[in-house]
Amino acid sequence: MKNGRFLLVLSILVAFMLIIPTMSLPTAAQEAPRGPWVDEVVFSSVADDATAISMLEAGEAHLYYYGLTDPELFKKVKASPNLWYAMSYGSYNELTFNPVGPEFPATGELNPFWDPKIREAMNYLVDRKYIADELCGGLAVPRYLAITPSFPDYARLIDVAKKLELKYSYNFEKAKAIITEEMKKLGAELVNGKWQYKGKPVTIKFIIRVEDERKEIGDYVASQLEKLGFTVERMYKTSKEAAPLWLFGDPAEGKWHIYTGGWVTTVIARDESDNFDFFYTPRGIPVPLWQAYKPAPEFDEVAKRLATKDYASWEERNELMAKALELSMKDSVRVWLVNSLTAWVARKGVKQAYDLAGGFYGARLWPYTLRFEGKVGGTAKIVTQAKIPIEPWNPLGGSDWVYDTMIYRATYDPPLMPDPYTGLYWPLKVVKAEVYVKRGIPVTKTLDWLSLKFVDKIEVPTDAWYGWDAKEHKILTAPDGLTAKAKVVLHFRDDLFEHKWHDGTKISLADFIFNYIITFDRADNASAVFDESYLETFKAFKEYFKGFKIVSKKPLVLELYTDNVYPDAEWIAANVASWFYPQGDYGPAPWHMITIGLLAEEKGLAAFTAAKADKLGVERLNYITGATLDTLKRMLDEAIATKYIPYKEVLGKYITEDEAVARYEALKKWYEEKGHFWIGDGPFYLESVDATAHVITIKANREYPDTADKWMIFGEPKIPEVAVEGPSNVISGLGSAFNVKVTFKGEPYKISDIDSVKYIIVDAKGRVTAVGTAKAVEDGLWSVGLSAADTSALPPGSTKLLVAVTSKLVSIPVIKETSFTALGLEDYLSGKLGEVEARAKAGIEPLKDAVSSLEADVGSLKGQISTLNTMLIISIVISIIAIAIAAVALVRRQK
Amino acid sequence: MLRYAALRGICLFAVVVVAVYITILIANMGGYVDQIIKSEVRFRIGVLVNQNPAYKNLPPSKKAELIEGLYQQEIKRLGLDAPFIFRSHQYLVRALTLDLGRSLYLTSDTGSRLVRNIILERLPATVLLFTSINLILFFISITLGLYASRKYGSKLDKLIVALSPLSSIPGWFYGIFLILIFAATLHILPYGGLVDVPPPKDPFHYALSVLKHMILPVLSWLVAYTFIQTYIRRTFFLMFSQEDYVEMAEAKGLPPRIIERRYILKPTLPPIITDLSLTLISSWMGAVITERVFNWPGLGTLLYMAAIMLDSPVIIGSVVIYAYLLAITVFVLDIVYAIVDPRVRLGVT
Repeated sequence: MKNGRFLLVLSILVAFMLIIPTMSLPTAAQEAPRGPWVDEVVFSSVADDATAISMLEAGEAHLYYYGLTDPELFKKVKASPNLWYAMSYGSYNELTFNPVGPEFPATGELNPFWDPKIREAMNYLVDRKYIADELCGGLAVPRYLAITPSFPDYARLIDVAKKLELKYSYNFEKAKAIITEEMKKLGAELVNGKWQYKGKPVTIKFIIRVEDERKEIGDYVASQLEKLGFTVERMYKTSKEAAPLWLFGDPAEGKWHIYTGGWVTTVIARDESDNFDFFYTPRGIPVPLWQAYKPAPEFDEVAKRLATKDYASWEERNELMAKALELSMKDSVRVWLVNSLTAWVARKGVKQAYDLAGGFYGARLWPYTLRFEGKVGGTAKIVTQAKIPIEPWNPLGGSDWVYDTMIYRATYDPPLMPDPYTGLYWPLKVVKAEVYVKRGIPVTKTLDWLSLKFVDKIEVPTDAWYGWDAKEHKILTAPDGLTAKAKVVLHFRDDLFEHKWHDGTKISLADFIFNYIITFDRADNASAVFDESYLETFKAFKEYFKGFKIVSKKPLVLELYTDNVYPDAEWIAANVASWFYPQGDYGPAPWHMITIGLLAEEKGLAAFTAAKADKLGVERLNYITGATLDTLKRMLDEAIATKYIPYKEVLGKYITEDEAVARYEALKKWYEEKGHFWIGDGPFYLESVDATAHVITIKANREYPDTADKWMIFGEPKIPEVAVEGPSNVISGLGSAFNVKVTFKGEPYKISDIDSVKYIIVDAKGRVTAVGTAKAVEDGLWSVGLSAADTSALPPGSTKLLVAVTSKLVSIPVIKETSFTALGLEDYLSGKLGEVEARAKAGIEPLKDAVSSLEADVGSLKGQISTLNTMLIISIVISIIAIAIAAVALVRRQK
Repeated sequence: MLRYAALRGICLFAVVVVAVYITILIANMGGYVDQIIKSEVRFRIGVLVNQNPAYKNLPPSKKAELIEGLYQQEIKRLGLDAPFIFRSHQYLVRALTLDLGRSLYLTSDTGSRLVRNIILERLPATVLLFTSINLILFFISITLGLYASRKYGSKLDKLIVALSPLSSIPGWFYGIFLILIFAATLHILPYGGLVDVPPPKDPFHYALSVLKHMILPVLSWLVAYTFIQTYIRRTFFLMFSQEDYVEMAEAKGLPPRIIERRYILKPTLPPIITDLSLTLISSWMGAVITERVFNWPGLGTLLYMAAIMLDSPVIIGSVVIYAYLLAITVFVLDIVYAIVDPRVRLGVT
């Protein structure tokens, strides 16, 4: 019995012990830890899309870091209750034309696409909506222009873009008419429905890429051309087979007419003004095809001005852009078709930020936002198709494959964080910045963490650092009279030098100065670590770099002078912030980690860049695996033994021998524990690499200075949800108003977060008759007011109102369309009169009936009254008679 | 005998030289690959420079200079600054001396660009899977084939004959079904890869994990090829078991095991050994589609990638190794045959 009680009590206690921690879990789960949300991320490789999706469904993987473009699999993903997906807009397809002609010099054959009017007419010949919806299975949106529909320039120029899109929308008959007319002008004739030139059929040699959706697109375009009477030779080719023809071959040889081109961008381009120069002029790429481009002088000039930023204001720039868009459509050496959408698939319950251009792996914020919903910690399994690691990891010349960068970027912080939805930058290691720009250069700023001022002149102080003497190991200062286009003062976090590298050592000013030195030293052939392959990129850097000055050491304040000016002040700051911050182009760059590599390079044992390694016949340095680990270890031991301070003449002032040894020792301990030399300061550290199995594991850095909730606002893009409400009829000559409701997940979108709400009126004849900007009424509500003048211009008929909302929080403009009927005033009034008449008529009839009924009633009443009168008279008469009789009787009695 | 060996050696070496040079010419399309690579490099660099925000504001002339500089640098790195005909001879000499050189693009799993390392790093996984498969297939087919030939017309024999058409479908195809059944539906075996994710830390569990990952690919090949190979062996043995001397042995009343070993298996051994040797060498080249289906990090995928990327040094390196292995095997077999059977020796008819 006692035992029974004891067991009961014990059971209750055990139950409490099990239940209580469980009950407290939800609370604990909400506390953001230092570093990332999850404890560990494991990357591995899968065979293909189908396997990856199957693994996600089965819960054996959480995220798929590889873009899904297969429409059938995408349908499966959409239908799955276990998966979610994000879309990115980074790739686009077009038709590239051979512009040589009218006859190919080598063959004498006619090239119809020499004629800009025929090229322009090709815009009418292709139904982009059909391509997007049917051929790409909905994984694409139509694209008409040289600017990307999901990027900021499209939003800025939405009215111009929409006008052109309407103008060049699918119209087969129009295309046929133009092409027929032009072909005849070129001397071709239509014989039995087939175009002939000098007695031979006009054969269009069409290179169709076969690896992706371009196969179907190419077939469709070929069919459209065949309908016009062209003979089409469909040349199905892979990239390697096609390149020698369209890219390397001389277009004058006439081996091809059209090529199904495709392009990719992995970041949101905030400024696409140089697209015209790149895509339409010989200045684009030094290959034969581009050299054959002959844009109209006006277009060439506009393209060049945009590329060289030869404008004084934003207004002027946007005018040039509008002009370039129009002229590019007339030129049409390439006809844009669709912007492909890529789906990024993950398992429900797992969240992370994604980039609107680069998807999951393109978002620099992924390590900071990856989490399991309602839970802290856990192991996230990410699968990709790439055989990771693809190339050696080293910060100065390592792998630039996105499948490698997506992982190693989790291991170090950038000074400024790119916004995955706008392409702007937010402070991370920097707290604020002052940007000074030479007056006359159009620059704007959007975010509040930095200030922007325009000044007449920016002189570089003579004590600013400007170069490096590789022989004497001396820092060179700026010459007298040096000026710059912009100056940026960067204020770093107060606790910057408390932040630690993964091996436990602290970030120091020496890391910055070391990176300054090697930026110059590697490009100087007097240096022991000179790298010829680095020279070209260094030259480009020197074009912009104008000076560097340490204003304050703690907190760190730097002054940077540059000629590299972007339209966004945030970009100017981000560009200069990356110059000497302790990170290379391909990874983190603490001075002690880089030093051991430089020692190996100096001794000719290995090299950072592939080019130098090939030249010396040695291995490229790999800090994470492979044979060079042993070399690095030997260099580390040597550095410890000699208490080596790199560039001692300068860095000796910032590092003591003891400090240097302490850093090397920490790195050695790290290597002994982890088996690699890769150390950063990011939210994750590299735990292990299994190069044969293609598995890489990174673990949470719980000594990271920030908590995981720092970037929570970037959980998902706040793409506005737009609804337009208004009258169904609008009368010419009378004003009218429409309400535009802008929300996100049902909540009103703040006015301050909206960049613009523009509207476009497209009349019943398909013409744009009005363009304007809506007025803000309150958060989430905007009003489109159509003036009397606006409505007067509308011909009667069904009219479209397009409202384009652009947010400051996302780069994608949202376009909502509504229709109303436009009516002329006369028509309206006669309509109204008719309505009144009809209504009056409808009202009068019952009235008539009522009157008739009343008349009848009155008649009846009259009769009744008449009867009453008669009766009354009779009564009176009777009464009188009665009275008379009574009186007579009375008189007789008295008598 | 020595003269015979020397002559065979010289002949085989000449064949290797010719084969390697033809490979060099084919892998480089007679120098046309140079043009393809050059055009791609120029285009890639042009696009990279134009897309890189860091170079957005460079004046057009500076941008052109940068593109040209980077292009020249890459061409030099790839060794394309020398004429192909000159390089083809260099390739040949290096290949024959087993200096396989450096790849153009591909790297080994640990990041090395030495073709030797690229191939050697992939070799263990390839040997582990495909050599195992071939050995298992070999011994199963020999045993079953011999048994079936001796029990001609038995149920097992009929079953083997009936199932042999299974090989009309390649192993990787069965692999897809096996993945669907055992990985996607039953969740008892992995989808593919070499090892669990994350990989076990201690070697014993790591090895177990690798074995677990081998089950489905091995099974897929066994399903596809066991019966046809058994059928072939069975037919082969059947032919030999009808020889006069076997019938004589049977007439003498020798036990079946002795007949099988001494009278059937022994005379058929040389062609079987030849078959086994060549199969094993072939297995070292991997199997492209099976590797891709099971995401196995083998040489087949590597060769496929090398072909796609036009990485001719890797293609040539693989062919050279294969050619040498083949030549050595043939040489050894020739010698063995000559010792075993003097009729095959040179000059003897």
